[in-house]
Amino acid sequence: MQGFAFQRAADAAAAIALGAGAGTAQQGARVRFLAGGTTLIDLMKLGVETPETVVDINHLGLDGIGRAADGGLAIGATARNSDLAHHPIVLAEYPALSQAILAGASTQLRNAATTAGNLLQRTRCMYFRDPASACNKRAPGSGCPAIGGAHRMLAILGTSEHCIASNPSDMAVAMLMHDAVVHVQGVGGARQVPLDDFFLLPGDRPERENVLEPGDLITEVTLPPAEPGARSCYLKLRDRVSYEFALVSAAVSATMAEGRIVTARFALGGVGTKPWRIPAAEAILAGQAPDAALFRRAADLALAGARPQRQNGFKLELARRCLVHALTQVTA
Amino acid sequence: MSATAEAPPMRIIGHPQPRIEGRLKVTGAAHYAADHHLPGMLYAVPVGATIAKGTIAAIDARVAEQMPGVRAVLRRGSFPALAAAKPDFASVADLEGTVYVDERRPPFDDDTVRYYGQYVALAVADTLEQAKAAADAVRVTYRAEAPEVDPALTAGEMTVKSERGDPDAAFAAAPVTVDQRYGMATETHNPIELHATIAAWEGDSLTVHEATQGVVNHRNVLAAMFGIPREKVQVISRYLGSGFGGKLFPWTHSPLAAAASRQLGRPVKLVLSRPMMFHAVGQRPAITQRIRLGAERDGRLTSLRHDYVNATSLLDDYEENCGEATPHMYATPNLRVASGLAKRSIGTPTSMRGPGAVPGLYALESAMDELAIALDMDPVALRLKNEPPLDQGLGLPFSSRHFQECLTLGAERFGWARRDRRIGSMARDGLTLGWGMAACSWLAERFPCSARVELRADGTARVAAAVQDIGTGTYTIMAQMVAEALAIPLSRVEVALGDTSLPAGPVSGGSMMSASLVAPIQAAITRAGEALVALAAGNPAAPFAGAKAGALRFAEGRVAAAEGNRQAVPFDQLLRALGQEAVSGLGRAEGTFPPKEKPTHSKHSFGAHFVEVTWQPELARLRVSRVVSVIDAGRILNPLAARNQIEGSIVMGVGMALFEETDYDPRSGAPVNASLADYVVATNADAPAMEVHFIEYPDTHLNALGARGVGEIGLAGTAAAIMNAVYHATGIRVRDLPVKLEQLLG
Amino acid sequence: MPDPHSEVQAAVTLRVNGAEHTLSIDPRTTLLDLLRETLHLTGTKKGCDHGQCGACTIHVNGRRVNACLALAVAHDRDEIRTIEGLAEGDRLHPMQAAFLQKDAYQCGYCTAGQIMSAVALLDEPCGPEDADVRELMSGNICRCGAYANIVAAIQQVRGS
Repeated sequence: MQGFAFQRAADAAAAIALGAGAGTAQQGARVRFLAGGTTLIDLMKLGVETPETVVDINHLGLDGIGRAADGGLAIGATARNSDLAHHPIVLAEYPALSQAILAGASTQLRNAATTAGNLLQRTRCMYFRDPASACNKRAPGSGCPAIGGAHRMLAILGTSEHCIASNPSDMAVAMLMHDAVVHVQGVGGARQVPLDDFFLLPGDRPERENVLEPGDLITEVTLPPAEPGARSCYLKLRDRVSYEFALVSAAVSATMAEGRIVTARFALGGVGTKPWRIPAAEAILAGQAPDAALFRRAADLALAGARPQRQNGFKLELARRCLVHALTQVTA
Repeated sequence: MSATAEAPPMRIIGHPQPRIEGRLKVTGAAHYAADHHLPGMLYAVPVGATIAKGTIAAIDARVAEQMPGVRAVLRRGSFPALAAAKPDFASVADLEGTVYVDERRPPFDDDTVRYYGQYVALAVADTLEQAKAAADAVRVTYRAEAPEVDPALTAGEMTVKSERGDPDAAFAAAPVTVDQRYGMATETHNPIELHATIAAWEGDSLTVHEATQGVVNHRNVLAAMFGIPREKVQVISRYLGSGFGGKLFPWTHSPLAAAASRQLGRPVKLVLSRPMMFHAVGQRPAITQRIRLGAERDGRLTSLRHDYVNATSLLDDYEENCGEATPHMYATPNLRVASGLAKRSIGTPTSMRGPGAVPGLYALESAMDELAIALDMDPVALRLKNEPPLDQGLGLPFSSRHFQECLTLGAERFGWARRDRRIGSMARDGLTLGWGMAACSWLAERFPCSARVELRADGTARVAAAVQDIGTGTYTIMAQMVAEALAIPLSRVEVALGDTSLPAGPVSGGSMMSASLVAPIQAAITRAGEALVALAAGNPAAPFAGAKAGALRFAEGRVAAAEGNRQAVPFDQLLRALGQEAVSGLGRAEGTFPPKEKPTHSKHSFGAHFVEVTWQPELARLRVSRVVSVIDAGRILNPLAARNQIEGSIVMGVGMALFEETDYDPRSGAPVNASLADYVVATNADAPAMEVHFIEYPDTHLNALGARGVGEIGLAGTAAAIMNAVYHATGIRVRDLPVKLEQLLG
Repeated sequence: MPDPHSEVQAAVTLRVNGAEHTLSIDPRTTLLDLLRETLHLTGTKKGCDHGQCGACTIHVNGRRVNACLALAVAHDRDEIRTIEGLAEGDRLHPMQAAFLQKDAYQCGYCTAGQIMSAVALLDEPCGPEDADVRELMSGNICRCGAYANIVAAIQQVRGS
């Protein structure tokens, strides 16, 4: 690990001031905020992250979980994933979020990992994680060995010829399904970014993964009030039973009346370069009776434009089955 | 659960015994190699090649050398060249231990890179953080060549390993045949303990704390590489975080640490990283096998051909002996087993749990399942039909073979009779069930071994040997042997092992440790008893004053007059009466191979696995849910540890069948999934419900206790049984391990 | 970029198994390496150094975490408990005793992490079934595969 200066930020303003000197808030940032450390320390050991300054933001009081002003959920940036998954409001009103968090990593990691850290976790692409290898995300312009290499775990949606790295978060998939909003404080003040807009597609700048700029500090994530009567769940498919990233996953929620779907929403994980949600695919479900063929059509719409590689074409069919199964569960 | 047959009752052996070192393990007080600290110790971190084939053009360590705390960046020429330790196959019969290595080339021997991760430099610094940062800062440039990592394995030349009859003609004439290829991906051992060496010189003497399955072999190899007498080297491995074969023989990091320590005049600690565990410390190589079976319509095998090719490194000829079990497993008049090698730009492969038989039986037992289907015959019945009267490969009777009982008991315990043979026809709780079975076998031999037993006046005994406990329970088994023989409680036996200052012992490999220890421990006790008798005889202070040594007997820890009814005196009482602290005896016993004369028996363990998988086609979700294994491994010395060994093997078999694959990028030659996140092994949640039965027929052809080993046999056949169950559930026959869910999507 | 030739030190006070240690450390030092290489508390093991095996599991402020992914300097004044701090004198923690009795290990290398996870699990939301325990213990890889006995040991303690 490269040497760095360690600073404990006294307050958010101090953290933002330190972060403002990062040069970039993306790959190559010279200043990094340390929360749970489960991504940052991992990548610093690998030499993927090489900050000169690490700013500890664990003591800024950003770890609360409670009601948002609109009756929804306000989740502090440094709230631990475990605390969020087991929070009574989450268990009662946002069960898919709890399930998604508990489907990820291990208890040890969830006890350390935080809300913002989870959103900012980096891809598991093996070439990205190995500085001896080329990678457009880590070393822009060096090439993408995953295309034509080992990419079974990687994305089929939102990819570009420069990058096919998948977003590994489970939590973000459930949050996206719940219309989460990311609250950011930066040099120029506070702003709110819908989660779908927070993540960027790789395009020809795969080193840019989100909208954050130097100094930007995520302070909280809010979810609007859960739909009354909605049933939701998170279904994750992977090779082994536990402690593994998703091949594909689906967060789904639906409300029913008289045997018909009133509203339905879903997001997919494991398939995209960011958590994947297509509102037009959800729209065809409203007013319909639950039916596997209908769900399959919705899946096809959500997966439209997929560009699988040699090893990961199976994710298309697996994602369809995952979504159909999850939708069947919440509409039964 | 175990059924005992023909075994005389014993007090301590054969009863479940918690590990005697358990308290140290559950309190964190057991010190593994990397847990040792020496004054002034430096930290070393290797720099691995980032090409798989080519030459080193330049190593620029200027930045690294100037970093804080950095003592040196060593590379070729930084220290006197080390000698290659020539592997000596004959040394397996040497009571003073083997001299064996898999990767023969000493580290830094030339500028040629032959595999990805080969060590090209070594950063040494005051702290681990400094050493790691320095290693990262070393800039190496290469003249790279295209590596040879083609997964399609073909051998230029095949060597016949076993042959009888005319298998080609018999195959051509057979009414029912199977001809299939079976592939296995490279597997990496991945013990959770990282390889570690702590080396320290004092004058011309070297002490090494090493994560090794063979302290004596390791000592002998280091002595050869440094050109110093063996007595100048001490290797210590009191606790090992398992090895599975990966720590049997020395790898290049160990002499590197020793060379660095000599060069810098300070103790040096070198612990590999997890990615390095995929580079230069061996792996079970990729293997392709072709099985051809010919049978009569009633199921009798008329021809069996087994051809296999494994990948090996450019410099070393590691052969995966896949045909080990093939000649003796089933009766057939016509058979040929042939082997070949395919050279690749990879680190030298090595033994991994059940080398040879495990991949070999994966292929054979898969093919037997395919034959059963072709015959429309039950797979258990097919195996029962082909029970051989003797080992037809060696032309020798079996020392003890109860394979048919394994099959029938396993079938009964599993409920095999309820199996509906039709694909996908069985279900429970909405899940499709697949039931499959397969057989297993593993060789039973002994290594040469020595041991010293000391009887003490305080009523305790100490047994010592330069062997290892690699997690299989050797500490406890040694204590059991001594406690049983001396008729004292287990708690009164102290065990010393894992140190070359003790009487020489073999590597912990081949599931042979327990069998190898029986004779030398018994002999050591006999010698100690003789010493005690000699002291007692004629000593006026003793209860046996005036007796001649020949008139006294030592048995069950007591000395008694051979004639008359004078009471037997326990050794501790006698020692106290004699005013002696202790007596000791050294026992030595030869091994069984290479045999000095033609052996009288074929010695193997046998078993059968019955597996249930659940299959959820709508989610392509496959799980191994239940396994029943019946194992015929002679007398079971410690049922608690033995069951654990079989269960652990089954869990590893789940990994072998469903998850484990080291993935080499054909462009770079790098094992790209070199981590425990990307090289997938079974978690707790992947472990099936397991039921293990031992049928105990003591095999006294092997040793007086009749114990064979149980460390490896459980892995043999497990993957085949799983894949046979997968076929039964899905109708899809996957012949390349591991199976991936996309192959089952339909 | 900081001058690689100079070395920053940071002060930190750690409470480990009830004892306070005030140290000046390299900020790069993880809790795991600090425990092992500086405090010589080597019961906590390194298996992957990247949060992928669980061998380094310790308790920080009563919760189990991977010590390999924690910078020591970020845990100033935190309460840290390791395997060495579990027994009370000669009296083993019930989980240690259960691991011993059930043979819930083979080589013993992952055992400290397994036990620290298992002890933490007693205070976590966990269903009653073996499957619930298996899931919550899946962050601790046992390559020897002693999982069945690990579950049995934990269930014995939970049942008592």
